[in-house]
Amino acid sequence: MTQTDRTLRGCVFNIQNYSVHDGPGIRTIVFLKGCPLRCEWCCNPESQLLSPELAYNPQKCIGIEECIRCNDVCRQFAIGQSGHKKITINRDICNLCFECVEACPSKAIHVFGNSMSVTEVINIVEADSAFYARSGGGLTISGGEPLMQHEFTLALLIEARRRHIDATVETCGFAEWDILEQVGSHLKFILFDIKSMNDTKHRTFTGVSNELILDNFRKLRDTFPQLHILARIPLIPGLNDSEEEIAEIISFIKGMKNISCELLPYHRIGQSKYEFLGRDYSMAGVKLSDEKAQSLKDYVIAHFAAGN
Amino acid sequence: MADYCAVLSPQEQRIQKEVIGKEDTHERPRAFKILKSIQNLKPKIDVERARFFTESMKETEGQPLMLRWAKAMKHIAENITVYIDDNQLLAGRAGAQGRYGILYPELDGDFLDLAIKELPGRVESPFVISQEDAQIVFDEIAPYWKGKTFHENLTKGLPKETLKLTYDPADPLKSRFIVNETASFRSSIQWVHDYDKVLRLGFKGMKEDAQRRIETLDPMSPVDNMEKLPFLQAVVITCDAITYWARRHAKLAKELAGKESDPVRKKELLEMADCCERVPENPARTFREAMQAQWLTQIFSRMEQKTGTIISNGRMDQYFYPFFKKDMEEGILTETEALELMECMWVGMAQFIDLYISPTGGAFNEGYAHWEAVTIGGQTSEGRDATNDLSYLFLKSKREFPLHYPDLAARIHTSAPMRFLHEVAETIKEGSGFPKLINDEEVIPLLLAKGAPFEHAYDYAVSGCSECRMPNLDTYTSPCAYINFAAAVEMTIYDGKMLLQGEEQIGLRTGDPVKFGTWDEFWNAYLAQHMNFLRHAFIQQHVINNLRAKHFAWPTGSILHDLCVKECMDIHNPHIPGGIDLGYFEFMGYGTVVDSLAAIKKLVFEEKKLKMSELIEAMQVNFDGREAIRQMLANAPKFGTNNEYADKIAKDLDRVCLEYTRKYSKELGIHLDLRYVPFTSHVPFGKVVSASPCGRKAYTPLSDGSSASQGFDSKGPTAVLLSNYNSKNYDFRERAARLLNIKFTPAVMAGDEGTLKLISFIKTWCDLKLWHIQFNVINRSTLLAAKKDPDKYRSLIVRIAGYSAYFTDLSPDLQDDLITRTEHIAV
Repeated sequence: MTQTDRTLRGCVFNIQNYSVHDGPGIRTIVFLKGCPLRCEWCCNPESQLLSPELAYNPQKCIGIEECIRCNDVCRQFAIGQSGHKKITINRDICNLCFECVEACPSKAIHVFGNSMSVTEVINIVEADSAFYARSGGGLTISGGEPLMQHEFTLALLIEARRRHIDATVETCGFAEWDILEQVGSHLKFILFDIKSMNDTKHRTFTGVSNELILDNFRKLRDTFPQLHILARIPLIPGLNDSEEEIAEIISFIKGMKNISCELLPYHRIGQSKYEFLGRDYSMAGVKLSDEKAQSLKDYVIAHFAAGN
Repeated sequence: MADYCAVLSPQEQRIQKEVIGKEDTHERPRAFKILKSIQNLKPKIDVERARFFTESMKETEGQPLMLRWAKAMKHIAENITVYIDDNQLLAGRAGAQGRYGILYPELDGDFLDLAIKELPGRVESPFVISQEDAQIVFDEIAPYWKGKTFHENLTKGLPKETLKLTYDPADPLKSRFIVNETASFRSSIQWVHDYDKVLRLGFKGMKEDAQRRIETLDPMSPVDNMEKLPFLQAVVITCDAITYWARRHAKLAKELAGKESDPVRKKELLEMADCCERVPENPARTFREAMQAQWLTQIFSRMEQKTGTIISNGRMDQYFYPFFKKDMEEGILTETEALELMECMWVGMAQFIDLYISPTGGAFNEGYAHWEAVTIGGQTSEGRDATNDLSYLFLKSKREFPLHYPDLAARIHTSAPMRFLHEVAETIKEGSGFPKLINDEEVIPLLLAKGAPFEHAYDYAVSGCSECRMPNLDTYTSPCAYINFAAAVEMTIYDGKMLLQGEEQIGLRTGDPVKFGTWDEFWNAYLAQHMNFLRHAFIQQHVINNLRAKHFAWPTGSILHDLCVKECMDIHNPHIPGGIDLGYFEFMGYGTVVDSLAAIKKLVFEEKKLKMSELIEAMQVNFDGREAIRQMLANAPKFGTNNEYADKIAKDLDRVCLEYTRKYSKELGIHLDLRYVPFTSHVPFGKVVSASPCGRKAYTPLSDGSSASQGFDSKGPTAVLLSNYNSKNYDFRERAARLLNIKFTPAVMAGDEGTLKLISFIKTWCDLKLWHIQFNVINRSTLLAAKKDPDKYRSLIVRIAGYSAYFTDLSPDLQDDLITRTEHIAV
């Protein structure tokens, strides 16, 4: 790794300390922008585009009666007035200069996605190294899909290793095999999402076929037998919330070596972020009952554990 | 990633169960029965202690104070009503049945009559008193103490400039909450007794020792005649007094047994009678006798003085262990019986209310808080791990008996056994915030640096909310100043004035900040106000140190202290040979001050986004119509987010305090160390400070301890710890406790994996050499619901600043403060 590589920049939309549900121990998650999938339920809609995006949170907005600083700086005249004494952003004419972000005192207008160097990111990650040392934690690179910025991801992994920080990646698996192979060679542990074995549904719900994903999963398993794979199944109403559909996924991974599996019950926590981005959330109103989530969780525990 | 907010902690589940009316089917129902009978009772004031104390003090004027105090205790022991509660296994109360508080007119007699009229209506901590008892206060007690109390002489003794920052010179009962003295509303003791001595020697042993020494005094020596003799006589009288009082319990237990028809209860009462006949006069032989001896001593000592948040219990898992082990080996004790005895003690503690008469005291200790800490774990005096079976039993008791007494404190060190850490974590997860944790890796080196030998340093016990005491070596007694540095920020803005105090020039004139051209000018003006506060805090302390021995004596506490006995000196003496004086002063509003200075430095002087005049104008109107400015301030760098910019200012502030005390506590001949422990006082201190440059609204609570400002710990718990680590000056020995509250939702520690992650969090906290940590496992929605519907949530316990209280006992202000704190929800 040369000095130049540490200056490589990526587009990061969040760095979250004290993450305890994404890999072993206490971890810091670095969220990278860009995703090839367009999952209906996506809880990080700000992750989908590769480039920085403008977001507006009306709850944080002070309101036009006291503050119109955004309007004062906007040269595109993209700031309008909403019915509730808040503002609107005309995204058609916004040229993403982000000057309103600087001007906004309450951070109601903010950017999803900052350009950061490898060194900048890993410096922040390393701040919590005392916690990793005690918990067996470290860095989790997530997204979006980290493989969309695979050179940056790779550089982060190498720099993390140089500083003896355990690092892992959470992927949707939708990438060229040689990219996944290259990243996989740096890992001891990976979080790999599997959404559905039904290709038609997969296309409907995520916008892409599951063929490449499943293929990559098998190859990854075969190529790196020492790599521990945590298969994560997001439980999505309408996509896979039945015993049969979960059973299909289980039978796909069951019997593979060095693998574990967890079910992530559906939640709507990301919903407000759609609003911030001026987008619609197509699954508004959809709910998954606790009972159903629990019974499917129990099913996975019973059936997956039986074979592994 | 599930909707983790839906997870309830076991404590919350238990409360819900109670709310919907299901009986808690407990395998040890005894203490639950006692608890249920007192749960929703408003506390009563019992005047007997004050009455008998005053009666005796009237008779002994002119005699040495230690002797007077001992005689007063004997008079109380002979006359106060003794009680034995239904279902109880331990005898000993200091007042009426139910929840009760007692009076200490020697502290507050000068305004006792006024206070008694107001107490029932007080918002923070209301009390009830019967008309008949109130009359006794007005006629017999209060009049005697007018002109004689510590508080009166202290206000008279303070220089004018110091008094101005302490009390309203026109009304010395009204605290300014700026440089606030705390020595007069809770007497001068914050302590841990050496209870081991009671169990090993009994008061008879201590009395005989004193009698032998009286024989050897030099009859020609004036010191022996006038200092040592009265001390030793006081020892004899006090030992007789507690013995006599214990025997009155034995007699009552026997009488009750005679009338008792239930054979099981009859047997219990007879056993109780045997116990009280024997201890604490004689050495204890069994676990039960040891518990009874400790409990009687503890309660007797409560009647002796109003101590700072009650005498702590010391290392219970150490001094009780030999009795526990022996009884278990001999098969005369079961774990269930041991737990039942413990729970009888906890429920006894819960019935005692630490009554504060002065409005200042009441504001300091909302929710009737007291902290008779029980220390478990840690290391032996030889430096080995000290955990034993009893340590685990205390944890089990805390998990199974949902009560906020005792204030359980676990000492953590680098080689603590995994089982101990595991059970500590599981107990924390139960949700009542116990145990709080104290870090051997920070405390012990500091005690050594301050002059303690290893064997004493290793054997420290937690005292009160986060202090540590070496029971036979510490000799300093005064609680010290609480300094409101957020007021210093306000004075810097308004050239030495405060909005609440109008035109009064209460602080220094440091100039109009609008005319300051650089950050350095502002910083220096702030420092001038800051140093002025320190100056008056130390002047105040000097007066207190010299005054306290003229007003207080403490026979039982002194008898249980090796150095006091050796020197024949009451603990209140300004200096006791061989002792180490460990005192503390308080930095109030750390987060508020750091965030305010960081916002000004960055926005006004560096980025120039905000004019000083705009800022001041916005503060004057409490940001009304100036929300944009408030938001800019709120988004400036914040302490508690591992932000280098803010942490640097935090470290500088810490350092100027340390440099000051390094220089001037030396000349006082004591250690006055810097501490960040607010109890609940960040609420009343906030009530005198108008809007702050960090965006804090006027008269709202200040930040708490060394935690981030409310709602601003946005980077999670690791960042809160790291900001503390980064802002400490480890090269100074003049530092003491930093109280750190971390609020967790149950979700982040759910399951076995959650336990392991909590353990690693604790171990990292230990590595970072942070003094104290406590966890508040609670959902925001729970708190909101409890605020709205208190009756359904009476038993909800929350942890605030070093202790736990019933949430519904707290004032609406403090409830809001708790609700505001960011929860670390993992999503």
